[in-house]
Amino acid sequence: MKFGFKQRYLPLLVLAGSLTVGAIAPSSAEEAPKWVPGEQYPRELLKNFPCHDYDLPCGKMTSPPVERVEFKGPLKGDAERGEKIATNLRWGNCIACHALPKHEGGSIGPSLKGYAHREMPLDYTYQRLWDVRFYNPNAFMPVYGPNKVLTDQDIQDVMAFLYTK
Amino acid sequence: MNIPRKLKLLAFGACLAAAALPASAEEYPKFDYMPGKELAIPHVSGDAKFSNTYQYWKDEKALEDAKKSGKMSHEMNYKDFRWAVKSFDAEGAIDIGRGYYNEKNAKGQSCASCHGAEGKKLKGIYANYPAYNKRLKRVVTVPTQIKACATERLGFDWKENTRQNTLIDFFVGSLSDGKVVKIDATSPGPIKASYERGRDLFFKRGGHFNFACASCHTPPAAGKYLRGQRPTTFFGDAAQYPIYHFPYSLPGDDFEYVFTLQHQIKSCQILSRIYPGEEGSPAMTDIEVFLKASANGYKMSVPVAEYNMDTSYLD
Repeated sequence: MKFGFKQRYLPLLVLAGSLTVGAIAPSSAEEAPKWVPGEQYPRELLKNFPCHDYDLPCGKMTSPPVERVEFKGPLKGDAERGEKIATNLRWGNCIACHALPKHEGGSIGPSLKGYAHREMPLDYTYQRLWDVRFYNPNAFMPVYGPNKVLTDQDIQDVMAFLYTK
Repeated sequence: MNIPRKLKLLAFGACLAAAALPASAEEYPKFDYMPGKELAIPHVSGDAKFSNTYQYWKDEKALEDAKKSGKMSHEMNYKDFRWAVKSFDAEGAIDIGRGYYNEKNAKGQSCASCHGAEGKKLKGIYANYPAYNKRLKRVVTVPTQIKACATERLGFDWKENTRQNTLIDFFVGSLSDGKVVKIDATSPGPIKASYERGRDLFFKRGGHFNFACASCHTPPAAGKYLRGQRPTTFFGDAAQYPIYHFPYSLPGDDFEYVFTLQHQIKSCQILSRIYPGEEGSPAMTDIEVFLKASANGYKMSVPVAEYNMDTSYLD
Protein backbone atom coordinates (compact mmCIF):
# COMPACT_ATOMS: atom_id res chain seq x y z
CA MET A 1 0.00 0.00 0.00
CA LYS A 2 1.34 3.32 -1.02
CA PHE A 3 0.12 6.64 0.12
CA GLY A 4 0.63 9.79 -1.87
CA PHE A 5 2.02 12.86 -0.16
CA LYS A 6 -1.46 14.15 0.57
CA GLN A 7 -2.78 10.94 2.05
CA ARG A 8 0.28 10.41 4.12
CA TYR A 9 0.17 13.86 5.61
CA LEU A 10 -3.56 14.29 5.69
CA PRO A 11 -3.90 13.34 9.35
CA LEU A 12 -1.08 15.72 10.19
CA LEU A 13 -2.73 18.47 8.19
CA VAL A 14 -6.01 17.88 9.96
CA LEU A 15 -4.22 17.93 13.27
CA ALA A 16 -2.37 21.12 12.38
CA GLY A 17 -5.63 22.65 11.16
CA SER A 18 -7.44 21.85 14.36
CA LEU A 19 -4.52 23.18 16.35
CA THR A 20 -4.68 26.45 14.45
CA VAL A 21 -8.41 26.64 15.05
CA GLY A 22 -7.72 25.88 18.68
CA ALA A 23 -5.17 28.63 18.79
CA ILE A 24 -7.41 31.12 17.07
CA ALA A 25 -10.58 30.31 18.93
CA PRO A 26 -9.44 31.48 22.35
CA SER A 27 -7.82 34.61 21.00
CA SER A 28 -11.03 35.65 19.26
CA ALA A 29 -12.98 34.77 22.38
CA GLU A 30 -10.22 36.42 24.33
CA GLU A 31 -11.72 39.85 23.88
CA ALA A 32 -10.77 40.54 27.44
CA PRO A 33 -13.12 42.82 29.29
CA LYS A 34 -11.74 46.31 29.61
CA TRP A 35 -11.85 48.34 32.74
CA VAL A 36 -13.53 51.68 32.35
CA PRO A 37 -12.22 53.81 35.22
CA GLY A 38 -15.11 54.91 37.37
CA GLU A 39 -16.93 51.63 36.75
CA GLN A 40 -16.68 48.28 38.50
CA TYR A 41 -13.41 46.46 37.83
CA PRO A 42 -14.14 43.35 35.70
CA ARG A 43 -13.61 40.24 37.78
CA GLU A 44 -11.87 38.35 34.96
CA LEU A 45 -9.07 40.90 34.92
CA LEU A 46 -8.31 40.22 38.59
CA LYS A 47 -6.85 36.87 37.50
CA ASN A 48 -3.83 38.83 36.27
CA PHE A 49 -2.78 39.65 39.83
CA PRO A 50 -1.72 37.46 42.77
CA CYS A 51 -4.69 35.78 44.48
CA HIS A 52 -5.27 33.39 47.37
CA ASP A 53 -6.23 30.25 45.47
CA TYR A 54 -3.96 27.19 45.48
CA ASP A 55 -4.95 25.85 42.05
CA LEU A 56 -5.38 28.91 39.86
CA PRO A 57 -2.26 30.36 38.21
CA CYS A 58 -2.83 33.67 40.04
CA GLY A 59 -2.20 31.83 43.32
CA LYS A 60 1.45 31.45 42.30
CA MET A 61 1.93 34.98 41.01
CA THR A 62 4.03 37.45 42.93
CA SER A 63 3.76 41.17 43.46
CA PRO A 64 5.17 43.36 40.67
CA PRO A 65 8.74 44.51 41.21
CA VAL A 66 9.23 47.97 42.69
CA GLU A 67 9.40 50.56 39.93
CA ARG A 68 11.66 53.58 40.31
CA VAL A 69 10.37 56.37 38.11
CA GLU A 70 11.75 59.82 37.54
CA PHE A 71 9.59 62.80 36.89
CA LYS A 72 11.37 65.60 35.12
CA GLY A 73 8.40 67.89 34.68
CA PRO A 74 7.02 70.33 33.93
CA LEU A 75 3.74 69.22 35.45
CA LYS A 76 1.03 69.11 32.81
CA GLY A 77 -2.15 68.14 34.62
CA ASP A 78 -5.81 68.97 34.72
CA ALA A 79 -6.63 69.72 38.35
CA GLU A 80 -10.36 69.29 37.83
CA ARG A 81 -9.92 65.86 36.31
CA GLY A 82 -7.44 65.04 39.08
CA GLU A 83 -10.04 65.88 41.70
CA LYS A 84 -12.47 63.49 40.02
CA ILE A 85 -9.87 60.72 39.99
CA ALA A 86 -8.94 61.29 43.63
CA THR A 87 -12.52 61.25 44.88
CA ASN A 88 -14.01 58.54 42.68
CA LEU A 89 -14.51 55.28 44.58
CA ARG A 90 -13.78 53.24 41.46
CA TRP A 91 -10.85 55.19 40.14
CA GLY A 92 -8.06 56.66 42.28
CA ASN A 93 -10.15 56.68 45.46
CA CYS A 94 -7.47 58.60 47.40
CA ILE A 95 -10.31 59.89 49.56
CA ALA A 96 -10.86 56.46 51.13
CA CYS A 97 -7.71 56.90 53.23
CA HIS A 98 -6.77 60.59 52.95
CA ALA A 99 -8.45 63.88 53.71
CA LEU A 100 -8.01 65.94 50.53
CA PRO A 101 -8.07 69.62 49.61
CA LYS A 102 -11.77 70.61 49.71
CA HIS A 103 -12.80 67.10 50.88
CA GLU A 104 -13.00 65.19 54.12
CA GLY A 105 -11.82 61.59 53.83
CA GLY A 106 -10.46 58.57 55.63
CA SER A 107 -7.85 58.75 58.36
CA ILE A 108 -5.59 55.83 57.43
CA GLY A 109 -3.19 57.95 55.41
CA PRO A 110 -1.99 61.42 56.41
CA SER A 111 -4.21 64.38 55.57
CA LEU A 112 -3.34 65.96 52.24
CA LYS A 113 -5.13 69.21 52.97
CA GLY A 114 -2.77 72.06 52.15
CA TYR A 115 -0.36 69.68 50.40
CA ALA A 116 0.55 72.45 47.95
CA HIS A 117 1.96 74.53 50.81
CA ARG A 118 4.36 71.81 51.86
CA GLU A 119 6.41 72.43 48.72
CA MET A 120 7.19 68.77 48.19
CA PRO A 121 9.36 68.07 45.11
CA LEU A 122 7.33 66.94 42.10
CA ASP A 123 9.63 63.98 41.61
CA TYR A 124 8.94 62.77 45.15
CA THR A 125 5.17 63.03 44.80
CA TYR A 126 5.19 61.37 41.39
CA GLN A 127 7.19 58.42 42.71
CA ARG A 128 4.87 58.07 45.73
CA LEU A 129 1.85 57.97 43.48
CA TRP A 130 3.40 55.68 40.90
CA ASP A 131 4.91 53.14 43.30
CA VAL A 132 4.92 54.04 46.97
CA ARG A 133 7.07 51.03 47.85
CA PHE A 134 10.18 52.84 46.70
CA TYR A 135 9.93 54.98 49.85
CA ASN A 136 8.10 52.59 52.14
CA PRO A 137 7.94 48.87 51.28
CA ASN A 138 5.23 48.30 53.89
CA ALA A 139 2.98 51.15 52.82
CA PHE A 140 -0.75 50.51 52.50
CA MET A 141 -1.18 52.48 49.29
CA PRO A 142 -2.17 50.77 46.04
CA VAL A 143 0.68 50.40 43.56
CA TYR A 144 -1.01 52.73 41.10
CA GLY A 145 1.63 52.69 38.39
CA PRO A 146 2.93 49.12 38.10
CA ASN A 147 -0.56 47.57 38.26
CA LYS A 148 -2.04 50.15 35.87
CA VAL A 149 -4.60 51.53 38.26
CA LEU A 150 -3.67 55.02 37.12
CA THR A 151 -1.82 56.16 33.98
CA ASP A 152 0.97 58.68 33.82
CA GLN A 153 -1.56 61.35 32.79
CA ASP A 154 -3.96 60.38 35.60
CA ILE A 155 -1.16 60.82 38.14
CA GLN A 156 -0.19 64.19 36.71
CA ASP A 157 -3.82 65.27 36.96
CA VAL A 158 -4.02 64.18 40.60
CA MET A 159 -0.78 66.05 41.25
CA ALA A 160 -2.18 69.20 39.61
CA PHE A 161 -5.13 68.88 41.99
CA LEU A 162 -2.88 68.41 45.04
CA TYR A 163 -0.56 71.27 44.08
CA THR A 164 -3.34 73.78 43.51
CA LYS A 165 -2.86 76.59 46.02
CA MET B 1 46.10 30.46 59.97
CA ASN B 2 43.23 28.06 60.24
CA ILE B 3 40.35 30.45 60.56
CA PRO B 4 40.58 32.17 57.17
CA ARG B 5 40.65 28.78 55.48
CA LYS B 6 37.48 27.83 57.31
CA LEU B 7 35.95 31.11 56.29
CA LYS B 8 36.85 30.42 52.69
CA LEU B 9 35.14 27.06 52.92
CA LEU B 10 32.08 28.71 54.45
CA ALA B 11 31.99 31.28 51.69
CA PHE B 12 32.28 28.50 49.11
CA GLY B 13 29.42 26.67 50.77
CA ALA B 14 27.32 29.79 50.81
CA CYS B 15 27.94 30.25 47.09
CA LEU B 16 26.82 26.70 46.42
CA ALA B 17 23.69 27.25 48.49
CA ALA B 18 22.96 30.49 46.66
CA ALA B 19 23.39 28.76 43.32
CA ALA B 20 20.98 26.03 44.42
CA LEU B 21 18.34 28.49 45.62
CA PRO B 22 16.87 29.85 42.36
CA ALA B 23 15.66 26.41 41.30
CA SER B 24 13.58 25.96 44.43
CA ALA B 25 12.52 29.59 44.38
CA GLU B 26 10.84 28.93 41.04
CA GLU B 27 8.70 26.23 42.54
CA TYR B 28 7.76 28.25 45.60
CA PRO B 29 7.57 31.87 44.55
CA LYS B 30 8.66 34.39 47.11
CA PHE B 31 5.53 36.25 48.03
CA ASP B 32 5.32 39.74 49.41
CA TYR B 33 4.00 39.77 52.96
CA MET B 34 2.76 42.58 55.13
CA PRO B 35 4.68 42.78 58.40
CA GLY B 36 3.28 41.16 61.55
CA LYS B 37 2.88 37.55 60.40
CA GLU B 38 5.16 36.23 63.11
CA LEU B 39 3.28 38.08 65.86
CA ALA B 40 -0.04 36.34 65.18
CA ILE B 41 -1.10 33.74 67.75
CA PRO B 42 -4.24 31.59 67.75
CA HIS B 43 -5.91 33.34 70.67
CA VAL B 44 -7.97 36.50 70.94
CA SER B 45 -5.56 37.96 73.51
CA GLY B 46 -2.97 38.12 70.71
CA ASP B 47 -4.58 41.40 69.75
CA ALA B 48 -2.53 43.05 72.50
CA LYS B 49 0.52 42.75 70.24
CA PHE B 50 -1.33 44.46 67.39
CA SER B 51 -3.80 47.13 68.51
CA ASN B 52 -3.18 47.12 72.25
CA THR B 53 -6.91 47.54 72.87
CA TYR B 54 -7.74 44.03 74.09
CA GLN B 55 -8.15 45.25 77.64
CA TYR B 56 -11.16 47.37 76.59
CA TRP B 57 -13.23 44.67 74.93
CA LYS B 58 -12.13 41.31 76.30
CA ASP B 59 -15.50 40.81 78.04
CA GLU B 60 -18.76 42.59 78.80
CA LYS B 61 -17.44 44.23 81.95
CA ALA B 62 -14.31 45.55 80.30
CA LEU B 63 -16.48 47.05 77.55
CA GLU B 64 -18.80 48.74 80.02
CA ASP B 65 -15.87 50.17 81.96
CA ALA B 66 -14.16 51.44 78.82
CA LYS B 67 -17.32 53.17 77.63
CA LYS B 68 -17.86 54.71 81.05
CA SER B 69 -14.31 56.01 81.13
CA GLY B 70 -15.03 57.86 77.89
CA LYS B 71 -13.16 55.69 75.40
CA MET B 72 -14.21 56.40 71.84
CA SER B 73 -15.18 53.58 69.52
CA HIS B 74 -12.05 53.88 67.37
CA GLU B 75 -9.84 53.85 70.48
CA MET B 76 -11.32 50.43 71.19
CA ASN B 77 -10.36 49.19 67.73
CA TYR B 78 -14.13 49.24 66.89
CA LYS B 79 -14.57 46.00 68.84
CA ASP B 80 -17.16 47.60 71.08
CA PHE B 81 -20.08 47.32 68.73
CA ARG B 82 -21.41 44.05 67.44
CA TRP B 83 -20.93 41.27 69.86
CA ALA B 84 -22.67 42.48 72.99
CA VAL B 85 -25.84 43.62 71.21
CA LYS B 86 -28.21 41.04 69.74
CA SER B 87 -29.99 41.47 66.42
CA PHE B 88 -33.73 40.94 66.49
CA ASP B 89 -34.07 41.51 62.76
CA ALA B 90 -32.18 38.28 62.21
CA GLU B 91 -34.74 36.02 63.90
CA GLY B 92 -36.76 35.74 60.70
CA ALA B 93 -33.72 34.56 58.74
CA ILE B 94 -32.92 31.97 61.43
CA ASP B 95 -36.50 30.71 61.19
CA ILE B 96 -36.11 30.18 57.45
CA GLY B 97 -32.88 28.30 58.17
CA ARG B 98 -34.72 26.15 60.69
CA GLY B 99 -37.26 25.43 57.96
CA TYR B 100 -34.57 24.11 55.61
CA TYR B 101 -33.10 22.11 58.48
CA ASN B 102 -36.46 20.32 58.76
CA GLU B 103 -37.08 20.03 55.01
CA LYS B 104 -37.72 16.39 54.12
CA ASN B 105 -36.50 14.64 50.99
CA ALA B 106 -38.53 12.02 49.08
CA LYS B 107 -37.63 9.40 51.68
CA GLY B 108 -38.85 11.62 54.47
CA GLN B 109 -35.37 12.39 55.82
CA SER B 110 -34.12 15.79 56.88
CA CYS B 111 -31.14 17.20 58.77
CA ALA B 112 -33.20 16.67 61.90
CA SER B 113 -33.32 12.90 61.28
CA CYS B 114 -29.67 12.60 62.38
CA HIS B 115 -29.02 15.79 64.31
CA GLY B 116 -32.19 15.92 66.38
CA ALA B 117 -35.16 18.24 66.56
CA GLU B 118 -34.17 21.90 66.87
CA GLY B 119 -30.56 20.89 66.18
CA LYS B 120 -30.28 19.31 69.61
CA LYS B 121 -27.04 17.48 68.81
CA LEU B 122 -25.46 20.49 67.13
CA LYS B 123 -25.48 22.78 70.15
CA GLY B 124 -22.08 24.33 70.66
CA ILE B 125 -20.35 22.71 67.70
CA TYR B 126 -20.01 25.95 65.77
CA ALA B 127 -17.44 27.16 68.30
CA ASN B 128 -15.16 24.26 67.29
CA TYR B 129 -15.43 24.67 63.52
CA PRO B 130 -13.66 24.58 61.05
CA ALA B 131 -12.65 21.02 61.97
CA TYR B 132 -10.89 18.11 60.33
CA ASN B 133 -13.28 15.68 58.65
CA LYS B 134 -11.72 12.23 58.70
CA ARG B 135 -13.94 10.81 55.98
CA LEU B 136 -13.39 13.70 53.58
CA LYS B 137 -9.73 13.87 54.68
CA ARG B 138 -9.75 17.64 54.80
CA VAL B 139 -10.50 20.58 57.05
CA VAL B 140 -14.07 21.77 56.54
CA THR B 141 -16.08 24.82 57.50
CA VAL B 142 -19.68 24.34 58.62
CA PRO B 143 -21.04 25.30 55.16
CA THR B 144 -18.84 22.61 53.57
CA GLN B 145 -20.02 20.11 56.18
CA ILE B 146 -23.64 21.03 55.40
CA LYS B 147 -22.95 20.56 51.70
CA ALA B 148 -21.43 17.12 52.31
CA CYS B 149 -24.39 16.00 54.45
CA ALA B 150 -27.02 17.45 52.14
CA THR B 151 -25.66 16.17 48.86
CA GLU B 152 -24.49 12.75 50.05
CA ARG B 153 -27.16 11.80 52.56
CA LEU B 154 -30.26 13.79 51.66
CA GLY B 155 -29.81 14.30 47.93
CA PHE B 156 -30.20 18.08 48.20
CA ASP B 157 -27.89 20.20 46.07
CA TRP B 158 -27.05 22.65 48.82
CA LYS B 159 -23.55 23.86 47.98
CA GLU B 160 -21.74 26.47 50.07
CA ASN B 161 -23.00 29.34 47.94
CA THR B 162 -26.68 28.44 48.04
CA ARG B 163 -29.39 30.15 50.00
CA GLN B 164 -30.36 26.96 51.85
CA ASN B 165 -26.79 26.27 52.93
CA THR B 166 -26.25 29.81 54.22
CA LEU B 167 -29.48 29.95 56.16
CA ILE B 168 -28.94 26.51 57.73
CA ASP B 169 -25.44 27.72 58.62
CA PHE B 170 -27.02 30.71 60.35
CA PHE B 171 -29.43 28.47 62.25
CA VAL B 172 -26.64 26.12 63.33
CA GLY B 173 -24.44 29.06 64.28
CA SER B 174 -27.17 30.45 66.53
CA LEU B 175 -27.14 27.16 68.47
CA SER B 176 -23.63 28.01 69.70
CA ASP B 177 -24.48 31.48 70.96
CA GLY B 178 -22.43 32.14 74.10
CA LYS B 179 -20.05 29.23 73.57
CA VAL B 180 -16.33 30.06 73.77
CA VAL B 181 -14.45 29.54 70.50
CA LYS B 182 -11.93 26.75 70.70
CA ILE B 183 -9.91 25.67 67.67
CA ASP B 184 -6.76 23.74 68.49
CA ALA B 185 -4.24 25.34 66.16
CA THR B 186 -1.18 24.57 68.31
CA SER B 187 -1.05 20.75 68.44
CA PRO B 188 0.65 19.29 65.37
CA GLY B 189 -1.96 18.23 62.84
CA PRO B 190 -4.08 19.34 59.92
CA ILE B 191 -5.71 22.24 61.81
CA LYS B 192 -2.35 23.73 62.80
CA ALA B 193 -1.11 23.37 59.23
CA SER B 194 -4.29 24.97 57.93
CA TYR B 195 -3.97 27.83 60.44
CA GLU B 196 -0.43 28.55 59.29
CA ARG B 197 -1.34 28.49 55.61
CA GLY B 198 -4.33 30.74 56.33
CA ARG B 199 -2.14 33.14 58.27
CA ASP B 200 0.30 33.35 55.38
CA LEU B 201 -2.54 34.04 52.95
CA PHE B 202 -3.88 36.73 55.25
CA PHE B 203 -0.59 38.60 55.17
CA LYS B 204 0.20 37.92 51.51
CA ARG B 205 -0.06 40.85 49.14
CA GLY B 206 -1.99 40.54 45.92
CA GLY B 207 -4.70 41.84 43.66
CA HIS B 208 -4.92 44.98 41.58
CA PHE B 209 -3.86 47.21 44.48
CA ASN B 210 -1.22 44.84 45.87
CA PHE B 211 -3.06 44.72 49.19
CA ALA B 212 -3.15 41.95 51.76
CA CYS B 213 -6.05 41.26 54.12
CA ALA B 214 -3.62 42.62 56.71
CA SER B 215 -3.40 45.96 54.87
CA CYS B 216 -6.73 46.98 56.38
CA HIS B 217 -6.92 44.62 59.34
CA THR B 218 -3.70 45.42 61.19
CA PRO B 219 -2.59 48.74 62.67
CA PRO B 220 -2.07 51.46 61.69
CA ALA B 221 -5.04 50.95 59.33
CA ALA B 222 -7.19 49.14 61.90
CA GLY B 223 -8.89 51.56 64.25
CA LYS B 224 -8.86 54.31 61.64
CA TYR B 225 -11.50 55.49 59.21
CA LEU B 226 -11.53 53.91 55.79
CA ARG B 227 -13.91 56.54 54.59
CA GLY B 228 -17.31 55.09 55.60
CA GLN B 229 -15.90 51.85 56.93
CA ARG B 230 -14.20 51.00 60.17
CA PRO B 231 -11.54 48.34 59.77
CA THR B 232 -10.62 46.39 62.88
CA THR B 233 -7.96 43.79 63.67
CA PHE B 234 -8.52 40.13 62.79
CA PHE B 235 -8.96 39.03 66.41
CA GLY B 236 -12.31 38.01 67.86
CA ASP B 237 -14.64 38.98 65.04
CA ALA B 238 -15.00 35.46 63.67
CA ALA B 239 -16.94 34.61 66.84
CA GLN B 240 -19.84 36.69 65.51
CA TYR B 241 -20.28 34.92 62.18
CA PRO B 242 -22.54 34.12 60.42
CA ILE B 243 -23.80 37.64 60.64
CA TYR B 244 -27.05 39.30 59.69
CA HIS B 245 -25.62 41.76 57.26
CA PHE B 246 -28.47 44.08 56.44
CA PRO B 247 -28.47 45.94 54.08
CA TYR B 248 -25.49 44.44 52.31
CA SER B 249 -25.37 41.32 50.25
CA LEU B 250 -22.94 40.17 47.64
CA PRO B 251 -23.92 41.65 44.30
CA GLY B 252 -26.52 39.51 42.63
CA ASP B 253 -26.85 37.17 45.56
CA ASP B 254 -29.76 36.62 47.85
CA PHE B 255 -28.74 35.09 51.12
CA GLU B 256 -31.54 36.77 53.01
CA TYR B 257 -28.76 39.19 53.94
CA VAL B 258 -26.81 36.59 55.87
CA PHE B 259 -23.05 36.59 55.59
CA THR B 260 -21.12 33.49 56.53
CA LEU B 261 -17.45 34.02 57.27
CA GLN B 262 -16.77 32.59 53.81
CA HIS B 263 -18.95 35.29 52.22
CA GLN B 264 -17.20 37.90 54.30
CA ILE B 265 -13.77 36.81 53.08
CA LYS B 266 -15.04 36.81 49.50
CA SER B 267 -16.58 40.22 49.92
CA CYS B 268 -13.31 41.60 51.29
CA GLN B 269 -11.44 40.10 48.34
CA ILE B 270 -13.81 41.75 45.87
CA LEU B 271 -13.57 45.11 47.62
CA SER B 272 -9.79 45.03 47.68
CA ARG B 273 -9.66 43.71 44.09
CA ILE B 274 -8.19 40.31 44.75
CA TYR B 275 -9.62 37.53 42.56
CA PRO B 276 -12.31 36.08 44.85
CA GLY B 277 -12.12 32.45 45.92
CA GLU B 278 -14.93 29.92 45.93
CA GLU B 279 -16.70 29.46 49.25
CA GLY B 280 -15.38 26.29 50.86
CA SER B 281 -12.27 26.02 48.67
CA PRO B 282 -9.10 24.89 50.48
CA ALA B 283 -7.57 28.37 50.47
CA MET B 284 -10.76 30.04 51.71
CA THR B 285 -11.09 27.37 54.40
CA ASP B 286 -7.52 28.02 55.54
CA ILE B 287 -8.25 31.74 55.88
CA GLU B 288 -11.35 30.92 57.92
CA VAL B 289 -9.35 28.61 60.20
CA PHE B 290 -6.88 31.43 60.78
CA LEU B 291 -9.65 33.94 61.56
CA LYS B 292 -11.65 31.58 63.75
CA ALA B 293 -8.60 30.48 65.73
CA SER B 294 -7.78 34.16 66.21
CA ALA B 295 -11.08 34.30 68.12
CA ASN B 296 -10.07 31.47 70.47
CA GLY B 297 -11.13 32.27 74.01
CA TYR B 298 -13.83 34.67 72.84
CA LYS B 299 -17.54 34.11 73.21
CA MET B 300 -19.65 33.31 70.17
CA SER B 301 -22.44 35.79 69.64
CA VAL B 302 -24.99 34.88 66.94
CA PRO B 303 -27.10 36.66 65.80
CA VAL B 304 -25.46 39.93 66.55
CA ALA B 305 -26.39 43.47 65.59
CA GLU B 306 -24.01 44.54 62.91
CA TYR B 307 -24.19 48.22 63.47
CA ASN B 308 -23.74 50.23 66.56
CA MET B 309 -26.81 52.37 66.92
CA ASP B 310 -25.32 54.26 69.84
CA THR B 311 -23.37 56.97 68.06
CA SER B 312 -22.59 58.98 71.18
CA TYR B 313 -19.01 57.79 71.31
CA LEU B 314 -18.25 57.65 67.60
CA ASP B 315 -15.97 60.24 66.08
